Amino acid sequence: MPEQLVFAMEVFLNGLMAGVLYALVALGFVLIYKASGIFNYAQGVMALFAALTLVGIMEGQVPFAHLINAILGTEIHHFGWHMPGILAILFTMAVMVGLAWIVNTLIFRHLVNQEPIILFMATIGLAYFLEGFGDIMWGADIKKLDVGLPQGINLWIDETTFNIFDYGFFIDNLDIVATVVAALLVCALVIFAQYTKQGRAMRAVADDHQAALSVGISLNFIWVMVWSVAGFVALVAGIMWGTKSGVQFSLSLIALKALPVLMLGGFTSIPGAIVGGLIIGVGEKLFEFGFGPMLGGATENWFAYVLALLFLVFRPQGLFGEKIIERV
Amino acid sequence: MAQSPKAAGGLSSFPALLQRNASQFGDKAAYREKEYGIWQSWSWAEAEKEIEALALGLLNLGVNPGDFVAIIGRNRPYFYWSMVAAQSVGAVPVPVYQDSAAEEMAYVMDHCGARFAVVEDQEQVDKIIEIQDQLEQFEHMIYVDPRGLRKYDHRKLHEFSHVQDQGRAAHDELIGELKARRESLDYDSTCVMLYTSGTTGKPKGVVLSNRNIIEASKSSAEFDRLDLNEEVLAYLPMAWVGDFIFSIGQAYWCGFCVNCPESADTMQTDLREIGPTYYFAPPRVFETQLTNVMIRMEDAGRFKQWLFHKSMAHARKVGPSILDGKPVGGWDRLKYWLGNLCIYGPLKDTLGFGRVRVGYTAGEAIGPEIFDFYRSLGINLKQLYGQTEASVFITLQPDGEVHSDTVGVAAPGVELRIAENGEVFYRSPGTFEEYYKNPESTASTKDKEGWVATGDAGFFDEETGHLRIIDRAKDVGKMADGAMFAPKYVENKLKFFPNILEAVVFGNQREECTAFINIDLNAVGNWAERNNIGYASYQELAGHPKVLDTIKTHVEEVNRSLADDPMLAHCQVHRFIVLHKELDADDGEMTRTRKVRRGVISEKFEDLLGALYDGSDEIYTTTEVTYEDGRKGSISATLKVISAEVTNMQDRKVAAE
Amino acid sequence: MLDASEGYTTEDGRKIGGVVMEMKNITLRFGGVVAIQDISFDIRQGEIRAIIGPNGAGKSSMLNVISGFYHPQEGEVWYKGAKRPAMKPYEVARQGIARTFQNIALFEGMSVLDNVMTGRIRQMNSGLFAQAIWKGKAEREEVENREFVERIIDFLEIQHIRKTPVGRLPYGLKKRVELARALAAEPSILLLDEPMAGMNVEEKEDMSRFVLDVNDEFGTTIALIEHDMGVVMDLSDRVVVMDYGKKIGDGTPDEVRTNQAVIDAYLGVAHD
Repeated sequence: MPEQLVFAMEVFLNGLMAGVLYALVALGFVLIYKASGIFNYAQGVMALFAALTLVGIMEGQVPFAHLINAILGTEIHHFGWHMPGILAILFTMAVMVGLAWIVNTLIFRHLVNQEPIILFMATIGLAYFLEGFGDIMWGADIKKLDVGLPQGINLWIDETTFNIFDYGFFIDNLDIVATVVAALLVCALVIFAQYTKQGRAMRAVADDHQAALSVGISLNFIWVMVWSVAGFVALVAGIMWGTKSGVQFSLSLIALKALPVLMLGGFTSIPGAIVGGLIIGVGEKLFEFGFGPMLGGATENWFAYVLALLFLVFRPQGLFGEKIIERV
Repeated sequence: MAQSPKAAGGLSSFPALLQRNASQFGDKAAYREKEYGIWQSWSWAEAEKEIEALALGLLNLGVNPGDFVAIIGRNRPYFYWSMVAAQSVGAVPVPVYQDSAAEEMAYVMDHCGARFAVVEDQEQVDKIIEIQDQLEQFEHMIYVDPRGLRKYDHRKLHEFSHVQDQGRAAHDELIGELKARRESLDYDSTCVMLYTSGTTGKPKGVVLSNRNIIEASKSSAEFDRLDLNEEVLAYLPMAWVGDFIFSIGQAYWCGFCVNCPESADTMQTDLREIGPTYYFAPPRVFETQLTNVMIRMEDAGRFKQWLFHKSMAHARKVGPSILDGKPVGGWDRLKYWLGNLCIYGPLKDTLGFGRVRVGYTAGEAIGPEIFDFYRSLGINLKQLYGQTEASVFITLQPDGEVHSDTVGVAAPGVELRIAENGEVFYRSPGTFEEYYKNPESTASTKDKEGWVATGDAGFFDEETGHLRIIDRAKDVGKMADGAMFAPKYVENKLKFFPNILEAVVFGNQREECTAFINIDLNAVGNWAERNNIGYASYQELAGHPKVLDTIKTHVEEVNRSLADDPMLAHCQVHRFIVLHKELDADDGEMTRTRKVRRGVISEKFEDLLGALYDGSDEIYTTTEVTYEDGRKGSISATLKVISAEVTNMQDRKVAAE
Repeated sequence: MLDASEGYTTEDGRKIGGVVMEMKNITLRFGGVVAIQDISFDIRQGEIRAIIGPNGAGKSSMLNVISGFYHPQEGEVWYKGAKRPAMKPYEVARQGIARTFQNIALFEGMSVLDNVMTGRIRQMNSGLFAQAIWKGKAEREEVENREFVERIIDFLEIQHIRKTPVGRLPYGLKKRVELARALAAEPSILLLDEPMAGMNVEEKEDMSRFVLDVNDEFGTTIALIEHDMGVVMDLSDRVVVMDYGKKIGDGTPDEVRTNQAVIDAYLGVAHD
């Protein structure tokens, strides 16, 4: 087999793995958008915030330590514990649910029936607030996140591929885990939406507020639930990205990567988010591999957007989005 | 003819067959019905218990041997049980079309003097209460669905399950009587009485004996090797002889399962879920399904369309040959197998034909394209020719000898004869006993030797030896110049176009042929939607200039093909009108089995018929219509009279020379 | 008039019970506009109660007050013998008051079955975690409720569209699905907001039959508003007539028909 092709295969696999992570973030967008019509710009920051909180709880960091110390003149920074990852994740989840409740109660329930653009602006505000709030709460330094997920090269794949192609593929264990987790998450979400009473209620609220009220569905409860689920997805994405490249501000920028994914897959489709994520992941890696050297590299920065633009021109509803039909 | 009153093995009645089925394959499903979204099922043993309870209940109500019991409802196990329960107590079941208007129902029930009726729901109960005064002998009514009936006077009105309960309660007292009555049934006892809708005159009650039904069921089941593992979907009217033969005759003889749909509207879904192995449908049903497939394909993406047409073309080429077991090349077979995997198989499943082993159509001529379409998919669709008076079967197409323009060979046990005027006669063990209370009609239809006139003109195809039917014998007329006039032949050719639902051709004793045409709202409506043509009503769509143009091209195409046949070239349609309303059984323009009533139509639309022959371009008309709820109204319209191009035979010959 | 607590029997033999809901001196204003002015009436167990009036009479506002979508500035709502505090619409729904909407509020993207299933929310109690952990119970609950829903689907003869997304249905069927969803809640009071609006004669007759059958079969108390007087008079046991936010008549259809104020309102004598 020609060497180039073997390399391309490795790039392809790595692209798939990266795509899974894009898909994870996009999924959070789709969920909130479907249920409440809000395009949640803050999804990426929520992932960052979740990761920060997780690290903080694991390390026993005292929240708002800076602030407290500045006001009270104390010097406390740590509670002095090291919490196991799984427990910390549960606590973080509780924090995310609390955040969902606060966000809904303080902001979005007052904006019911507002124009989508107003809601969008509100999420931008939320994003910047949350970013700053996270900094104040946990400090702005780059943190390392390790909840015990396997990392580093997968030796089995390395060996196997070496035996076949004379070239060992470099596939990160973390990427494999991320893929499995993402797949599980998607299955869980689909089951939740289609087969549980709350899922049905969620779809009902997304469809028609008035009708939902008339059958006894509490809109607030559903919205808090949706924001919590989005928080949960953000947490998962935060763990994966955080483990991979450290918990830092740039984590919130992955939200921007989710945008082209959504344009590709459609804003309202869960399978769209997944397929879109995979296409972008694979596409940008292969493009960089094939044409990057020719174009002076760094094509990964813009490839996804160009692809998304092309889609906007030819299929504005995305791959899986609902067809926009205007009946005359 | 010397015939023994008992059949071999003592199976000379349906109650007897029921006993056999319950003891021999008691656990096997006998009936299924979808209710509340789930398929409920009854084994033969359970069905036997239900029927016995009902029979005892009927005894309890005072049903006497020889009484007539009207059965009025859509296909549900309860009504099949009612028929066999009625037979068990020596009574005669008379299934009645449940959508007949009150007067029609009154005529039938009065004619047979029904004392009892088993009906479906409030609608039927109301209908019978409305006509009750005209029915001197009528006494008790049993209903299945209690909704809305609670407040009714229940002195002579009974809920089905209560009748069964009372029967069970009186088991010890009445079982002896029931057994005695069951045992007194023999091959000569009346099995069922079915009213034929008849294209003219009042309906006639066809009396069919156990011998008729059981012999016909037995030989036809053997012909197609039906066994107890068949699944059928019972969805055709219970008052029609075909449903009686399939869902009772053959089902009891073979012991197979009868599945009842949830409602008339869910039939397509239920068909898919059941996947019958043995299936009957009139050509109209196949036509509608094909139209739906085509409509859906037009909405599909370009690639799908291409793939569909490509593989259907291949299927048309080799599908029928593969089905008939004729030699087909390996490469073609492989391509067909692939097509089956991707297109034909899924399509068959969607249509509900995935498991069909034997499929029949009859009643009307089926369009060759439609027929070939289903056969090319690998569905063993065949034609049969039958009548109520023959217990259905006169001719059948054997596997491997299927042609779209013939109706096959004489069914087992049937003798055929063609009279000088072309009318087809038959004689068989299934031949009916008599028309009830109508000896003149009986005598004019069935002669002393048992030969029955079908009323259809036909001949044996020289090439295949199969019977070909051209038209109703009495409809085959002569035109003014003495040439043969076969309206139905022309009408069928017109109706093969999906856009044309019905056509009525005139021309007897006239210089030239003309036609009334009904468009198919489904097909034309879809076309209109795709082409952004707005319409508010059937009438508006039927009068749209573009629609008229399309119909005109269809008529002209038919004219061209008629011109090729010297016998029928005179029947080309010179002028036609697209009618402003659908021909409807409620208005008496068609029979309940949807055959056009030529006489009624030419009388009712006399003005239009006049316009067809007086050369006018358009005509204003007002027509009375009956709504579904029985109210009357009228619609009026100005209709265009359109002249179609006629192909001259001479011209053709000259051109050819 | 009628005895407040005992109830009565109608001509066709239906038992009408005591008062289940009572509106006391309701006044509803939007800014300076008075939509409902000091209106009182009651609804009895098992009856079909109609609120009629010309367009803009305040009928819809009254229905929205009953279902909790509007809150009156003055007056009290008594339900099942107790004064009802100000409630959100979903709380009212959970108390067993189901409704339909004049302009149809269905979940267009969901199937008919899912739509009707949402009507069962009040009857489905197992929480999210219970559903995840104790699958058996949740499953049993789902099956039981599905069974109930199937009976309603059968009752309203919409089996053939069970799996069809509501958005694809024609208007008349949507109205029926909406009724099915409301019925699925096994409501103590069923509120119908112009159930016949926009229907042709045949559909109207179907709907009337369903309304009567529902009342007859399940004994459901029904309050409906309608501006088409003809339909209502045949259906209802008692009728409240509103005009310009005021009650101008209350009684049996016959009483209302002969009421001069009602005749004037419908013939447009009193105004302009």
